[in-house]
Amino acid sequence: MSDQPTRKVKTRTGAGGKVKAEALPARLTLAETQSLFQQAILTGDERVLEMLLDNSMTTKDTLFSVYKNGYSGRLAEILANDYEVLHTYLGDDLFHEVAHAYIAAHPSKSQNARWFGAKLPEFLATDARYRERVEFADMALLEKALADAFDAADDAALSIADLGQYPADAWGRLTFAPHPSATMLMLRCDVLALWTAMKDGSEEAPPLDEGTVQRLIVWRHAGVPMVRMMGDEEAMMWTEAGAGKPFEALCEMVATFNDPTDAAVRAAGYLQGWLQTDMLAGAVLRPLKAVRQNKRREMALKQR
Amino acid sequence: MPVSANAKSGGAVRKRSVEHPSPSDKPPYLGFGLGLRPQHYEDILNGNPAVDWFEVISENYMIPGGQPLRILDRIRERYPIVMHGVSLSIASTTPFDETYLAGLKSLADRTEPKFVSDHLCWTGVHGVNLHDLLPIPYTREALDHVVSRVQYVQDYLKRPIALENVSTYVQFGHSEMTEWDFIAEMTQRTGCWLIFDVNNVFVSAFNHDWDALEFINATPADRVVQFHLAGHEHNMTHIIDTHDALVPPEVWELYRAAVKRFGRVSTIIERDDHIPPLAELVSELDEARRIAVEMLPELAVR
Repeated sequence: MSDQPTRKVKTRTGAGGKVKAEALPARLTLAETQSLFQQAILTGDERVLEMLLDNSMTTKDTLFSVYKNGYSGRLAEILANDYEVLHTYLGDDLFHEVAHAYIAAHPSKSQNARWFGAKLPEFLATDARYRERVEFADMALLEKALADAFDAADDAALSIADLGQYPADAWGRLTFAPHPSATMLMLRCDVLALWTAMKDGSEEAPPLDEGTVQRLIVWRHAGVPMVRMMGDEEAMMWTEAGAGKPFEALCEMVATFNDPTDAAVRAAGYLQGWLQTDMLAGAVLRPLKAVRQNKRREMALKQR
Repeated sequence: MPVSANAKSGGAVRKRSVEHPSPSDKPPYLGFGLGLRPQHYEDILNGNPAVDWFEVISENYMIPGGQPLRILDRIRERYPIVMHGVSLSIASTTPFDETYLAGLKSLADRTEPKFVSDHLCWTGVHGVNLHDLLPIPYTREALDHVVSRVQYVQDYLKRPIALENVSTYVQFGHSEMTEWDFIAEMTQRTGCWLIFDVNNVFVSAFNHDWDALEFINATPADRVVQFHLAGHEHNMTHIIDTHDALVPPEVWELYRAAVKRFGRVSTIIERDDHIPPLAELVSELDEARRIAVEMLPELAVR
């Protein structure tokens, strides 16, 4: 069975210049039937009604409307569940408008409704109706990250005890893998305070500082999604650690980022925090040779 | 007896390896269960509710990891589990989403359900999913198509599946047979099991002016492995299946007729919205037990 109907259902221009549906063939294939049925739900092209029967109490229009009305209502409900705090912030009317705009722009392509709303942050950040309100997209981004952290893969978290298996003089060569639940967000406003206020049932939204870039780290600790702010230095080190830099290189980067005198202590402090809260999934000891080669490469690049 | 090797998906033809299941392969009788809902996790894990088994929505656990899967692991240590999907889209004319099938198989391998089920419907075509259980015209062509898809899935999962009749609101003028004849031939040709959703039969019978008892009497009794019970919204000219209310008296009445015809069948109450405390559903489940025992006194000694 092909995905495409074998016969196209054509339209023609009627006497009044209005596009008029051509009568459907007497026997539609299953593929044609499904195409028309879906089209009627998505676009309102209701030629499908020609194939349907009234019941003894009402018309096929009324009966078909159960599917048509159910479609957008159901998807809007999925979005409301996935973006609960955004819903609270926007209120029913605006959230309803946003949801229906998103549904029209992004029909679900996933078999699992869990992923239907994944593109809402991007939609809010780019759609002309909403992009000026940066907190809409930022709040959606935060809620999506929390939901993703909730059911991210179950890789075992790296602990301080795990690091104990490596000799202290080898720690500089350790590289770290973030836990699959961990995501760093770069937001365009200080949305965390707003999100917290809405989640806690505050009736008034705190004032937004739109000029402040906010870095948040979202991850899962003991099964629960967590979020906290991350300072510039720690965020830099987190990003570089995620890119595979060994601990020794991370310490050097921290030393050049801020005061070099206690850089190693600061770097160790960040690492300890990540380990204590399950933000890392693994460590790999890089061979000495690889670290030296990499250093030589970096020196050569600097000299150019 | 092996079934012919004509299952297709995306043009691929696979050799069938799943044998046509015989009545002796029938999934075990599980008693009286509930649809597992996150609102009840705590009560289930901390208490000992009088529920014999749970049915889980497959897609809710087709996720990378986290609490839901860990909770499911803990619940299945204590209760038999059945997987019930909503997105298989068995009647769709779009080729199967292999990623979805792989996820379904992986979940089945992990949770070892008593059986895997979904609905006799389609959920979308051309890469779109409408997340609804949509009706099919009951034509010979549709039947051949569904049969080939059921065979493909059973081969893929290496187990027979069970399919549920859905509530429908429209009928197609070009249907060539009744829903029950369609279902009877589908199960005969594929060996798939049937979930008999009593509420859905009631809803569709009202919406299409047919007699629900005809559906019951025409359904092959040896293929039914599960009853579903639920509530609905009556709009006088048609009924909408909402699964959000108490099982109404007329559905209990039909359940009585179903038990009489099909005998001892694993039964659940499903509630998808307006979910009450677990104790209320357990109490509603007692009504199912009471009716089943009234119709089949031998169940009382279980």
